[in-house]
Amino acid sequence: MNLRIIVFFIIGLVIFLLDIGLNSQEDSKDIYISDQELTSLLSAWQSQVGRPPSDEEIVNIINNLVQEEILYREALLLGLDQEDRIIKRRLAQKITFLKQETIPTEPSELELQEFFEINKSNYFMPATYSFTHHYFSKESNAKERANLAFNALAENGIEPTGDPFFLGKNFYQNTAAEIDRNFGPSFLSALTAIDLNQWSGPHSSAFGEHLVYFKNTSAGFLPAWEKVKGAVTQDYLTQAQDDAIKNYLKEIKSEYRVIINPNYQF
Amino acid sequence: MKLSKSFIGLVTVSTIFMLYASGLYKNLQSDSALEIVDFSIAKPASEKNISSNPDRVPLYGDLHVHTKYSFDAYIFGVTATPYDAYKYAIGEAIKHPLGFDMKLKEPLDFYAVTDHGFYMGMIENYADTSSEMSKNEWTKPMHNLNRPENVTVESLGGRANLFSSVLTQAIIKPYPYWHPKVWKAWLTNNIQVALQSFDYDVHKSAWADVANAAEEFNDPGNFTTFIGYEFTTSTDVEGGNLHRNVIFDSSKAPIRPWTRIDSLNPEDLWTWMDGLRDQGLDSLAMPHNSNGSNGQMFEVETFRGDPISIEYAEKRMRNEPVVEMTQVKGTSDTHPLLSPDDEWADFEIMDKRVGSRPPTYSMPQGGYVRDAYLRGLTLEWEGRGNPYKFGLIGSSDTHTGAGGFDENNYWSKAGVLDGTDMGRGSVPLTKDRIEQLEEYAGLYDQPISIQDIEGRTYADVGFDQWSASGLAVAWAEENTRDSIFQAFKRKETFATTGTRMAVRFFAGFDLESIDLESEDMVKNAYAKGVTMGADLFSQDNQTPQFLVWAQRDKLGAPLQRVQIIKGWVENASGTPKEQVYDVACSDGLAVDPITNRCPDNGARVNINDCSISNDVGAVELKTTWEDPEFDPTIKAFYYVRVLENPTCRWSTWDAIKAGVSPRPDLHKTIQERAWSSPIWYIPEASELDIIPL
Repeated sequence: MNLRIIVFFIIGLVIFLLDIGLNSQEDSKDIYISDQELTSLLSAWQSQVGRPPSDEEIVNIINNLVQEEILYREALLLGLDQEDRIIKRRLAQKITFLKQETIPTEPSELELQEFFEINKSNYFMPATYSFTHHYFSKESNAKERANLAFNALAENGIEPTGDPFFLGKNFYQNTAAEIDRNFGPSFLSALTAIDLNQWSGPHSSAFGEHLVYFKNTSAGFLPAWEKVKGAVTQDYLTQAQDDAIKNYLKEIKSEYRVIINPNYQF
Repeated sequence: MKLSKSFIGLVTVSTIFMLYASGLYKNLQSDSALEIVDFSIAKPASEKNISSNPDRVPLYGDLHVHTKYSFDAYIFGVTATPYDAYKYAIGEAIKHPLGFDMKLKEPLDFYAVTDHGFYMGMIENYADTSSEMSKNEWTKPMHNLNRPENVTVESLGGRANLFSSVLTQAIIKPYPYWHPKVWKAWLTNNIQVALQSFDYDVHKSAWADVANAAEEFNDPGNFTTFIGYEFTTSTDVEGGNLHRNVIFDSSKAPIRPWTRIDSLNPEDLWTWMDGLRDQGLDSLAMPHNSNGSNGQMFEVETFRGDPISIEYAEKRMRNEPVVEMTQVKGTSDTHPLLSPDDEWADFEIMDKRVGSRPPTYSMPQGGYVRDAYLRGLTLEWEGRGNPYKFGLIGSSDTHTGAGGFDENNYWSKAGVLDGTDMGRGSVPLTKDRIEQLEEYAGLYDQPISIQDIEGRTYADVGFDQWSASGLAVAWAEENTRDSIFQAFKRKETFATTGTRMAVRFFAGFDLESIDLESEDMVKNAYAKGVTMGADLFSQDNQTPQFLVWAQRDKLGAPLQRVQIIKGWVENASGTPKEQVYDVACSDGLAVDPITNRCPDNGARVNINDCSISNDVGAVELKTTWEDPEFDPTIKAFYYVRVLENPTCRWSTWDAIKAGVSPRPDLHKTIQERAWSSPIWYIPEASELDIIPL
C-alpha cells in the first residue's frame, strides 16, 4: 500500500521533471544569429549610408539586434503582441510581400507582348498639333469681332485683324496638354473635328475668341516595341504584384465572416 | 596622459612648421570644395524636337525645395526624397508627412531641390539607431524620429524644440586638435570633417543622391532641373538671416556643397563660386528671406563691417543676379514703415527673424528689395558701386518636397508642425491641443505658444504670417537648363505669389512707334528697347517710354491693375525717393492723373464662401507709359507690379473648411501679384564730384 503510493509519487515526480526539462528547452535563452541575417543587416546599413560599416559600427549593429531580440522575447512572454495595430499591420504587410514574391521575375517575351497589347494606351505618344490663329481679346467684344472676321474671311477671303496673343501666333507640335496650358483646359476639347488647312472658329479660350488654322496634326502613335520594352517590363511586374495580392484575397475572403454591431452609432 | 597630448601637439606644430618651411605644405594641401564631379547619367536620347521661340516664353518654376536631407525637414517629419520632390513638380501626387496627398493644379516647367548644405543628410543618420553617430548622447532625441508611428501631430512640440537646438549648434563640437580628422580637415580645407557630429561619407552620399535625382528628372524640352543646395548662413551677432540658394548650370557640380561650417561670410561663398567658374562651372546664388534678416541682407557695409567697394559690388552682382523676394515665409517687396505711401505695401509681411525662438522682431530697413534698390543707388552715388542691382524671382522654400502655391490647397511648409489648420493658427485650438501645447511647453521650458483673440484660443507660433507663395518665372527661348539659367543671368525674370500670371516689360526711346495691336509687337520691342533686368542708357536726354503687357492666370482671378514702381536718389543730397504709378486699369477705367490711381473696379469677395465677382477684371492689360516726372539727369529704377482682383487668403479658406469664422486679426483677402525685375535708367555721367564722408 505505502510502496504503491511512493511508486506513483516517484512516477509523478519524473513526469513533472521531464515536463520542466522539455519546456525549458522550448524557452531556450539562446540567441542565434545566422550568417544570412548578418549579411542582410550589413548590406542594409551600407545601402542607407553609402559605405560599409566600420568594426565599431558592426559591433553596434549586432548589439542593437541582440537588445531588440531580448526585449522582443520578453514582450512576447507578456503577450504584448496581442491586439497591437502596428504589429497587425506589419504582419499584413509581410504576407503581402510574401505573396508578391511568388511572381516570376523574368516574364517571357510573349507575356510581355500580351500585356503590352492590353495596355497599349499607356505607351501611346500623344497626338501633336501645329496651328496658327487669330486672337480676339475678351477686353473688347471678342465674340462679335471674331464672328465678323470669320465671315469676312470665309466669304471674301479678307485677312482678319485680331489682337496679338500673349504667347504668340504660331504653335508647333503642341500636345493636348501644352495647348491646355496655353489656352485653358476647355479649348482643344471643344473642337469636335479638326479639318486641316482651313480656318475654323470662333473658338473660346480663357482669354477670348480664336480663329484657328491647323497646318498639321500628327496622330498619336505607338513607339516601336524595342523602345518601350523596358518600361513595359517594369509595369508588368508592378501589375503582377498587385494581382498576386488581389487574387489571394479573393480566394480566401469568402471563408471569413464580418460581424459589426448593427446598432453602432457612427 | 596630459603630457602625451602636449607632446603630440608639439610634434604636430613642428611638423607643420617644417612642411610649411620646405614648401611641401602647398603640395599637400588641397581644396576639397573645388573638386568638380560629373554627376551625369546615361539616358536614351529624347526624340522630341525642342521647340524654341526667339520672342521667349514664360517658364514657371520653384528653385527652393527641401527634402528629408535637410536637417530641419527631417525633424519636421519629412521623409520625401529628392525623387519624390521632382515627381511632384511634374504633376504627380506625393504624400504629406501627415498622410494626405499633395498635388499641383498644373505641372511646373522647372524645379530645383535645394537642401541645406550644412549637415546635409546627417539628421537621418542620427535617427538611424544602428549608425556610429547615433551612439552619441545628443542624438538620442532624434532616434527613430520619422518611423511612421512617430510622425504625428502630437510630436509637434518636441520637434519644434529639436529644430531650435540644432540651429543653436548645440551639437557642433570639434575633435581634440591632435585627432587625425583634424589634420585631414586642415589639409583638405574641409573644417566640417573635424566635427564629432559629422560623417563626411554620409554627407557626400546625400549630396550625390540630390544630384542624381536632378539628373534623372532633367528632360530637355519638357522639364528642367538644377543641381543645387542652400547656403544657410547668418550673422553671428544678431542672428540675421543671410540664407542663399546656389544652383549649378551643369550636370557637373562640386564634390560637396560649400556651407556655413566653411564660412559664415557670403563673400567667401562668392570666392568659391568664382573659383568654380574659373574651372568652367557656372553657378548663381539667390538670397532669400531678407525680410527676416534684421536688416542685414542688404546692409550698407560688408559682413565684416568694412565699407562697400566697387570690387565688392561687382563680385556680389557676378554671383547673385537674382533675389527670391516672395516665398512661404513672407514677401520682401517693401514694408509699410518703409513705403508709407504705397497702399499695397502691407502684403504678407513676415516681421520675425528667421528661425528665432521665441519669434523675434526683424527690423525692416535693409530687409526689403525696394529699399535695397534705393540703397544700391545711394552707394553708387557715393562712388562705391551698386551691389543691389538684382532681378526678382519667387520660390516656395517648402520643406515637404512640395510647394503649396494655392490659397485653397495649402499645407504651409514645416511638415507636421504646420500641416494642420490648428497648427498654422488659422482655426481655434481644441482643448486637447491646448493641453498638449502646455505639456510640451512645461517639458521643454518654453513659453506657451498660444494666444487669445476675441475669446478664442489660437496657436501662436508665427505660421499665421506665412503665405502660399511663390514662383520663379524665367523668360527663356526653350525649356532647357541652359536657356533658363541664362534668363536668370540676364535677370529677365519675374516673381509671382504662386499665380501663373505673366508680364512683359520693355523700355526704350522709340517705343511709341510700336503698334500695341500688331503681331510683331514683342519682336519690335526687343529690337527697339531693353527688357526687364537691363540698363537703359540715356540718349540725348530724351524721355523714355515703357511698354507693359500682362496676362492673367487662366485658372486664377482676373487682373485689377498694372503699376510701375519708380525709385531714385536726388542728385544733390543722395536722398532716396519712391513713387508708385498705376499705369493700366481693368474694365476700361482710366488712371486719375492727380492721384496716379485706378478707380475701384468693384471686384469683391464673399467671405462666407470665397466666391469672387465674375464680371469685373481683365484677361490682359497692356499700355505704353511715360514717367510724368522724368528727369534725364537722375539715375532711377522702374519695376512692374501686377495685381489680381482680391481673393481669399489661405487662413480664410482654412476657417471656411473647418466651419468656423475667420480669425479676426488676419487679412481675410489678398491680392495675388507679380513683380518684374527692374529696368535701370542710366543718365550721362554727372559732373558732380561726390566725396563721401
